[in-house]
Amino acid sequence: MKAIEVEHLRRVFRTTIGVLRRTVKNVVAVDDISFDVAPGELFGLLGPNGAGKTTTVKMLTTLLIPTGGTARVLGEDVVQRADRLRGRIGFIFGGERGLYWRLNGYDNLRYFASLYHVEPETSKKRIPYLLELVGLTDRAKEKVDGYSRGMKQRLHIARTLLHDPEMLFLDEPTIGLDPVGARELRQVIRGLQAEKKTILLTTHYMFEADALCDRLGVINHGRIIALDTPAGLKRHVLDLSVVEIDVFGMPAEALGRVRALPFVDTVSVENVDQKQVLHVQTPQGSAAVPGLMETLSGLRLGKVVVREPTLEDAYVRLVGGEA
Amino acid sequence: MLRTLRINARLFLEGALLSYVALFRWLRPMTYLASKIMMPLASILFFTYLGTYATSAGNASFYVIGNAIQIASVSGIYGVTMSIGGDRWEGTLVYLFGTPANRLAMFVGRAFFHVLDGILGVLIGLGWGVFLLGLDLSQTDFPALLITILATTFSTSGLGLLLGCVSLVSLDTMFVNNLAYFALLIFSGANIPVTTLPGWMAAISWAMPLTRGIAASRGLIAGESLATVAPLIVGEVAVGAVYILLGYVLFRWFEFQARRRGTLEAF
Repeated sequence: MKAIEVEHLRRVFRTTIGVLRRTVKNVVAVDDISFDVAPGELFGLLGPNGAGKTTTVKMLTTLLIPTGGTARVLGEDVVQRADRLRGRIGFIFGGERGLYWRLNGYDNLRYFASLYHVEPETSKKRIPYLLELVGLTDRAKEKVDGYSRGMKQRLHIARTLLHDPEMLFLDEPTIGLDPVGARELRQVIRGLQAEKKTILLTTHYMFEADALCDRLGVINHGRIIALDTPAGLKRHVLDLSVVEIDVFGMPAEALGRVRALPFVDTVSVENVDQKQVLHVQTPQGSAAVPGLMETLSGLRLGKVVVREPTLEDAYVRLVGGEA
Repeated sequence: MLRTLRINARLFLEGALLSYVALFRWLRPMTYLASKIMMPLASILFFTYLGTYATSAGNASFYVIGNAIQIASVSGIYGVTMSIGGDRWEGTLVYLFGTPANRLAMFVGRAFFHVLDGILGVLIGLGWGVFLLGLDLSQTDFPALLITILATTFSTSGLGLLLGCVSLVSLDTMFVNNLAYFALLIFSGANIPVTTLPGWMAAISWAMPLTRGIAASRGLIAGESLATVAPLIVGEVAVGAVYILLGYVLFRWFEFQARRRGTLEAF
């Protein structure tokens, strides 16, 4: 039996605009996706903002009723058997909310333990163990209000493990964390992976997906556009090199000119402090540099680097530079 | 069966205690005590002096009792509503709805400590009435009065649970709470005898919590027996139960609609 079986899953949100003359608008958040996840697998869902990752996770965690298709988690239908499923899964959504800030960390866990029907004898042992696991033992009796963002995220992880769920959904768990906090959280996720927990992880960070996930699904505009291992996804860009150019002030028409070059496959722009870093995927490697320099002439340029493609480059190519 | 009962009883009590602590922990003990002691004092003095000024000094006990019992609505409405609405602000609703917890135990548990809190508030209010305004309790059947206060705080907490659910979907929780609180001031009989209200207003009075509790308390303090006021007490409990039921139905409807329409985090 698969841990997750998704068939033609679809979710449309109906929104209305206006007060007197109301206009109804249907927004397709998830559009006919199908995939499955094996027991013990760490499956990653990648995609730009608004791609449908969180909507998918919400449907799989029983929090949102699909508009079409079916989804089974641990063999239970997410709509028909939602009550049975809830006690067998755990989930967290990125961000600081979702905890009782006026309670301390220990009491937060105590309350959620009772919500998940954890026996008092079990929770007395389980809560200290989980606090230790996420490195919050020393701060357990402090109000969550005073916790850093990373500590709150780690408390969320502890919360979701209280009932020892068979399956975990982690929706952008490291979002907004500082590098140290994110690294600590990834360590915790690795530990869960070692315990053979089945995990569905959504993330924006490619290195995180590359380092943690057994398999990845890339989702864009509500559709899964690629489904493979990290190594398999990288093969999408094996024929390409990446030219990185630092530009100080990148006008839109210059970006258009670069995109129009015949030897350019995909372009993305990353804002770093005062500059924009242009990531140009090209089959020509360093031979493309003179042509790019000529196209960008007149602009203030910095460092130029030619490198091998990464998973991020594969992702950018798949989503068409929307990352 | 027994295990399910045990689990739900624990959820009820843990939820009751922790949601209450979550609500008031931000207050320092002195601030909390001051609000428990000073607020009833201010409320009783204001309405008693206003009432006796407008009618006669002989009516003081009418206003003291009415407004002491009315204090139950502060915990019942504001406390319970904040306890439920707090989940909307804290972003915990999504995590609560993702658990297998019994919704009735989770929901009703939120009101439990506010019932106790309300009893304390009413007793303090009556205490102020005795010490400052000469309220005479010499004829009072105290156990019966305590039962009446319990029934009244139960019913106002029932209204609080319903309003708490309204707060999950409304944009202005305090507007709804204040509206209910002031409606009770008018309709409950605390300050205006229900018999003097027009028929349609009197009908509303008897459909609201507090009205029967205040009437029963006045009767008991005047020397009536528990048996005499028992119908009023039973009625008060029944009104509270109806509000709890309505609140619970609204709570489940909200959960279903949030899952159907994807509005769980829209507020």
